[in-house]
Amino acid sequence: MDCSGEACSEPRNDDRRLVERATQGDRDAYGVLVSRHQHRMFNLAFQVLRNREDALDVAQEAFVKAFVSISSFKGEASFTTWMHRIVVNLAIDSLRRRRRGEGTEYDDGRAVPEGGEPDAEAPGNPAAELELKQMRGLLERGIASLPPAQRAVLVLREIEGMSYEAIAQAVGCRLGTVMSRLYYGRRKLQQLFRSQAADLR
Amino acid sequence: MSLSEIWRHRAHLALPGRSHLLLRHAAGETSPAEGQRVEAWLASCGECRRLVAASRSGLAALRASAPVRLTAAESAVFWSEVMRRLDRGGTPAVRPVRPGIRELLGDHPRLSLASAAAAVVLALGLTLGQFGLWGASSGMNGVEILSVEAGDDASVMLFQMPESPVKIIWVFEPPDPL
Repeated sequence: MDCSGEACSEPRNDDRRLVERATQGDRDAYGVLVSRHQHRMFNLAFQVLRNREDALDVAQEAFVKAFVSISSFKGEASFTTWMHRIVVNLAIDSLRRRRRGEGTEYDDGRAVPEGGEPDAEAPGNPAAELELKQMRGLLERGIASLPPAQRAVLVLREIEGMSYEAIAQAVGCRLGTVMSRLYYGRRKLQQLFRSQAADLR
Repeated sequence: MSLSEIWRHRAHLALPGRSHLLLRHAAGETSPAEGQRVEAWLASCGECRRLVAASRSGLAALRASAPVRLTAAESAVFWSEVMRRLDRGGTPAVRPVRPGIRELLGDHPRLSLASAAAAVVLALGLTLGQFGLWGASSGMNGVEILSVEAGDDASVMLFQMPESPVKIIWVFEPPDPL
């Protein structure tokens, strides 16, 4: 189901009502919730996993898991926050499996960006395209070198823009751990981009 | 960063919290007062300015890599795949994977540094002890530790060799998490 029907145009704060209906086993209501949040949850999974196929699998599995345990959703946080927690934990798990040789490799780190093809950001400018490619290569190297939990925290902060407290809740760790994971994640990126700048000089 | 750079900029970089502050500043998380303090400090430290610029490039590249959306084809079958999995009986109970020892150390590089430093000191002590160069009564054979700086980027120890102008810089860098 894609979000094109009348039900999908209802405001976001209607999530709670849809959750209530889903709790009573209403799959259609849940389908509306899924279609509202599928792109965002897929993006979140992709940013952590950097692999399209794995991200799709994790996002779908997260919605399955959420439906199965929807009665435990207390409504203290929003449905989105709850889904973030499920997606991030499944993604971390998937990464750990991958690192132990049970999963797939990274793809090119770039699937279909919003609003165009992968290299549409620097059309007809070979120097800019090359620079863009180098940046992406560096970014992928940096992210690939981070332990799963550090990677997840970096994505939640820098891409999702979540507060430290919300990240601690989503990942299930202490505030200090969030700060330290973020520190090491950011430092890794800093070191890589610093060494590249030094190479260019 | 090279050894000489670390040494040259140690006053700026090795003090606890400074590199953390630089990273937070690059991410736009410092308060106006902190920001002013950092900017004043950046004015006098070229390497720090380059580090902030590198951080900003890295974060900009990360933010530019999002959002990634489902294709129309993926989107069209997304819900039906969720339904199919639900009909199959939902999520089978899969035990979460525990973080490996490498990941734990990667999360706490200072722990790795401490382990590495302890291992080096132990190995050095055993080796010197083996050759009678370092016993309980002989001291450290004249080798003097001039300074120890436990920085966020790397811990640095400076030794002075006995009766010699030679100084040894020992850098304990965090291991690559991979």
